[in-house]
Amino acid sequence: MKKRNKKLILDLLVVLVVFMIFLPILLMIPSMFKDKYEIFSYPWHLFPSNFTVDNFSRLLYLEYTSLAINFFRSMFVTIFVASVAVVLALSINMIAGFAFARLRFFGKNALWVMVLFTMFIPGITILITSVKVVTALGMLDSIWVLIIPGLVSAYNIFFFRQFYLGFPKEIDEAAKIDGATNFQLFRHIFLPMSKTPMVIIGASIFMGYYNSYLWPTLTISQERKDLFQIMYIIRMLFNDSSTIGYGSVLAATFVSLVPPLLIFIIVQKYIREGIALAGIK
Amino acid sequence: MRKNVDNKSAYLMLIPTIVLLITFVYIPLSMALFRSFFESTPEGTQFLGFQTFIQTITNEYFMKSIWTVLKLSITITLTQLVISFLFANALVKVNKKLSVISRTLIYLPNLISGIVVAVIFTLLTTFNGGIINSLLESIGGSPIAFNNDYFWSPLSIIIPTIWIGFGYFSLVMYAGIINIPKTYFEAAEVDGASFLQKMFYITIPMMKNYFILLVVTMIVVNLQMFEIPMIMTNGQPANTTLTPVLYLIHSRSNGNISDTEITTAAILIMIIIIIINSSIFYLFKNKKGRKWEM
Repeated sequence: MKKRNKKLILDLLVVLVVFMIFLPILLMIPSMFKDKYEIFSYPWHLFPSNFTVDNFSRLLYLEYTSLAINFFRSMFVTIFVASVAVVLALSINMIAGFAFARLRFFGKNALWVMVLFTMFIPGITILITSVKVVTALGMLDSIWVLIIPGLVSAYNIFFFRQFYLGFPKEIDEAAKIDGATNFQLFRHIFLPMSKTPMVIIGASIFMGYYNSYLWPTLTISQERKDLFQIMYIIRMLFNDSSTIGYGSVLAATFVSLVPPLLIFIIVQKYIREGIALAGIK
Repeated sequence: MRKNVDNKSAYLMLIPTIVLLITFVYIPLSMALFRSFFESTPEGTQFLGFQTFIQTITNEYFMKSIWTVLKLSITITLTQLVISFLFANALVKVNKKLSVISRTLIYLPNLISGIVVAVIFTLLTTFNGGIINSLLESIGGSPIAFNNDYFWSPLSIIIPTIWIGFGYFSLVMYAGIINIPKTYFEAAEVDGASFLQKMFYITIPMMKNYFILLVVTMIVVNLQMFEIPMIMTNGQPANTTLTPVLYLIHSRSNGNISDTEITTAAILIMIIIIIINSSIFYLFKNKKGRKWEM
């Protein structure tokens, strides 16, 4: 009897913690439908007294305000950049992980150290000089400057290498006897087995690009407002919240949460498997 | 069997990785190191030695921001370790269905950017009419300046940061706990070990590597934090919540600091991260304390 009570208390505690985590997001939702005067008014009510969708419709007309930005086009461009980056980054990092895990070649250890060493270099250390490099390459103010420099990640190569190390050697030998090249071995045997790590790493690449703030602000100038990334737009709206109203900032924030929510729905099935994978390391 | 049979295809597969790493990591890194030791003028290149480093170390704003971020990071990481560990222990024990649902849901904040998280939390912490202050006033309290107060400002950075990482920490810890062989606990139970004894003599020592992994990755992330401080407090009050990266961003937009100084400061941040992380590895990874080895 006592043990059952204890378990019930623990269950309730877990429910409470999960609820507390969602509380800030839950509190935000009714506030998006409050008007400019009500949102920060005293006393506070959970639900809006004057229900309005102005905060959302205002986002459509930002182009005609002093900010002169297009919120929904920026959403689209950011999602496009992140999606292209996912495809390119997955291809590059997976095949590198495969080469380090399954192939024998000259200089393997030296190259592996070269990849791993980049884990110790914080982004801020090479930030300013990276801007110089992309300037010299003539990439400033282009869509490529947002995509290319962040494609290779030592963490992701490491993750795929660990994953591919887990398969028995006989797979390669059998394929080689059948006359497969290394590319065919990767394409037809290892790639189809990589769905779980692809989804997990793909989601993290997408979110990394989608959430990036500092790099786009340094490489995209005011002349290319069409390439502004969504986090920069939210920062701009936040700074301007006294004019456009905090409700609109919240509305923009909420719309910007849609892609992460979709990603979350896609990956949630794989998260547990993924953590189990991480456990193998 | 011949060695190095795959030379050609392996190099083909690694070309994109190598080219990108050299262009966007190693060249910028060499440039950063070069710039902090040499000065290039139209007349030629001059060796400066440690002059720029000394200038950076004696910059009181920058050094203060380093202490600030160290204090914030340590508080955040330790709190996260403790509460996630306790929560993961609870997740192992509760009803299976609840555990699965909770593990799925708590991961969500990890996908949200610091800027968005800070905007959401601002709704709670705004001085005039924020939800917390409104509720405080309703019960007769006086409002708190969460973005400009020596006690509350650090907290209004710490809490959203913990909020982002809590789910990820808990999931990693959960994986660590369920990977411990059940027989260890059974043996301990036969010997009459209490709940706390099992936790301190089995669970925690067995999870040492998970703790190290989490701490080391979070040090790199937290020492570079700036998004949440930028929105929540913007360094106030009196620069006590100014982090190094935020300081560098501010100074750059004010034109107070040259790119060389920014780069040198960022190299110092790298050195600090390397020192902290190697100390963690040295202290915990190779320690052969009998009591902690299973």
